[in-house]
Order: sequence, then C-alpha cells, then structure tokens
Amino acid sequence: MMRISCVICGKCDLGKDTIGINKKLLGANIANFYCMDCLAEYLGCTVQELLDKIQEFKDEGCTLFK
Amino acid sequence: MIYADNAATTQLSKAAFDAMTPWLLDEYGNASQPYAFSRKPKKALTEARATIAKCINAHPDEIFFTSGGTESDNWAIKGAAFTNGQKKATITSMFEHHAVLHSCATIECLGYPVAYLMPTANGVITPKALSGMISNTTHLVSIMFANNEIGSIQPIKELCEIAHAHGALFHTDAVQAIGHVKIDVQELGVDMLSASAHKFNGPKGIGFLYIRKGVEIAPYADGGAQESSRRAGTENIASIVGMATALKENYDAIDDQCINICALEHYLLSSLSNEHISYFRNGGANTLPGLISLSFAGADGEAILHRMDLAGVCISTGSACNSRNTEVSHVLKAINLDENLAKGTIRISLGKNNTMADIDAIVTALIRIVQ
Repeated sequence: MMRISCVICGKCDLGKDTIGINKKLLGANIANFYCMDCLAEYLGCTVQELLDKIQEFKDEGCTLFK
Repeated sequence: MIYADNAATTQLSKAAFDAMTPWLLDEYGNASQPYAFSRKPKKALTEARATIAKCINAHPDEIFFTSGGTESDNWAIKGAAFTNGQKKATITSMFEHHAVLHSCATIECLGYPVAYLMPTANGVITPKALSGMISNTTHLVSIMFANNEIGSIQPIKELCEIAHAHGALFHTDAVQAIGHVKIDVQELGVDMLSASAHKFNGPKGIGFLYIRKGVEIAPYADGGAQESSRRAGTENIASIVGMATALKENYDAIDDQCINICALEHYLLSSLSNEHISYFRNGGANTLPGLISLSFAGADGEAILHRMDLAGVCISTGSACNSRNTEVSHVLKAINLDENLAKGTIRISLGKNNTMADIDAIVTALIRIVQ
C-alpha cells in the first residue's frame, strides 16, 4: 500500500481516517494530503472538530473510514 | 454560528415561546373536558384556529391541527384516496417532498394509480403538463406550493382550475412557503393545504391541514371527537397557540420581511459575482424569498456543506454521500440538472434573523471553498 505524507509538514504514513477526512472535505480525487494538524490549520478549525466529523461519517457508514 | 438553513427549520419566535409557556405549566387542562378549568384552553384553541384561518383567508372550521407537514401531507393524499369514491387516480409531481411521494407510493401499493408530472428545468409544473395528464378518472392533484430545495413557486391557481375542470380535488403542500409569502386559499381555490409551524418560526411537532368545507376525505386518526372527529387525539394547546402566534407575527410583517430577505439575497449573489465566482442559480426567476439553490460546476456539494460547517455556517446540500456514491437529490434529478452541476449544489436559505454581516461571513467562507 502506498505511503502518504503531509504536503505541508512532511509527516509520514498518514492514517486511514486522516486520508478519509482529506478526501471528504477537499475532494475524492485530490493528489496532496494534509496531516490532521495541518488540515485543521488550512481549514481554520480545530483538530477536535475534524475528529467529530470523522466520527459522524463513521456513524453514517461512510466507506472512506472503513 | 451563522444559521442559513431556514428551509430546514427556523428559530422559534420569542413571542411564540412566551405565548406557549402558560399552557405548559399552569393551564394544563384538557380542552375537551366540560369543567371550568378547561375553559381557558378551549378558548385558546378556538382563538388559535381563528387566527390561523384569518391569515390564509379560510373559515376556522376548515383548519385541522396535525403534528406537522408530514402528517398533513399523509392525511391529504391517503384521506382523499380512501374515500371509496368511483375515481381513484392521483396526479402529483416528481419533485414533491418525500411526505407526499412516499404517501403516493403507499396508495399505489394498495391499488390506487398515481401519475408523476415532470417539472421544467426551472422547477415549474406547467398547466400544460397537467392538462396533458389529467382525465375524468383523476380524484386528486397534489402539487407543492414552492419546492423546498430550489424554491420555485408553482402556478397553483392555474393548476387548481384545471383540476376542478375535471372534477378533481386539489391539494398543495405549502410547508415551505406559508409564513413567507402571502397565501389566500380562496383566491387560489385549493381544496387542501398543508402547513408546518417550525418552518415559520413556530414550534416543532405541530402543523395544520386546511380542508375546504364540503371536501370529503377519510379521517386521519380514529379515537376521540377532537378536530371534528377527523383527527383524534388530545389537542397540544401550547404548540397550537405558539403556531398561531408565529404565523400571525410573520403575516403582520410579511411585506417588510420579504423586502429585507430579498435584499440579503441580492447582496449575497452580487457579492459572489463581484468576486468572479461562477455559479448557476436553480429554480428560475420566481422563487421563495431567501431560498437560494446554487450549483458550482465540478464542486462537491457535500464537501462544501461540511467545510462551511467547520467555518461556522449552517447550509444544506442537494447531494449527499450514501456510503459509496454521491447521490443527487430527487429534486435535482427531476429538473434534469447536469450531473456535474448537481453534485456541486448547495442550498442557502435565509430567514428574518439574518443580517448583512451574516452574508459577508457566508460569502467569505464560500469563496474560500469554491475558488
């Protein structure tokens, strides 16, 4: 499986949930990914708010987070 | 938080809240009981019915309280079908609310034929389309007053005349429109009209169905003699009073509210244009004030919704992920909107509490996302 790093800080091996929330909020076909901290910074929100979103998507059964 | 999803629900008006509280605490008597303690709730019920009737130019005896728009729609569709008349067919449109569509699916399963009219690209059911489908076997025509996703207002009076010319009843789901535009049931000629309080700053869980005097439909619930024995169940006095208060409050200020909300709408759209944001406005030229369905080519409506949420703005979308695919709403499918636009569709619905500052924040957030 391809390893994905944060396009901003270079953090390696982004997890499944991090990749899922990137795709969910930035587009399914994006080429660059952010780690949770950099994504929160980019979107102007907190990491906790992103985690809340991830949990809601999981509860809805979104396959991006399975 | 900026709330721009007033088509989903609205904030309870303070006047409605204040009017409700006595009936929740001190005056809790059952309006159907014959003793003195029930006299005040009974009077409140009568007055609320009269207030609502006056707002839509109906007779108080024509207002039947329900639990909301969904129940009103269910009652109108199923109640009309189950009258055991000779005529059994119903005509509705493909872009009705699911409360109507699913009620129609239920009666279809029970052997009552239902035909579905297709709206134009601007979201309008034309009189010509209805004329081409209606026959003397049609018992009921049900067309919404205004679409809840794209805001397009329907030519109800003309559609109603066609229905009546063929001896059919006419029902309109006015849930999205009532309290926001003037509605006169006499002028429109409708036989039934559905309404829900929480869409016009009233409480949730209460609504009404207007049934013109002389129109025969089967009762919705069997039990006590409430609502002229057509919808049994102890009356929810607090919510009924809150609904009447909210509706009157909106109707008393409807012209000014319409002007203000239209000004906000114009400001929002011109701000996007000034920033060279390319969008397509759905619903044509005649839409509900403040209900703005926008499509952004190539964008993802659901992503826009969630990013707006993270920016503190509540809006809605016309497409949603159903775990595997992005599912475009039945309304956007019905108007045959290009899939590239449909998937990038959002609904911003402004209300009487929104301000110019809200619009600035909405536009700023939206530009950041779609640019």
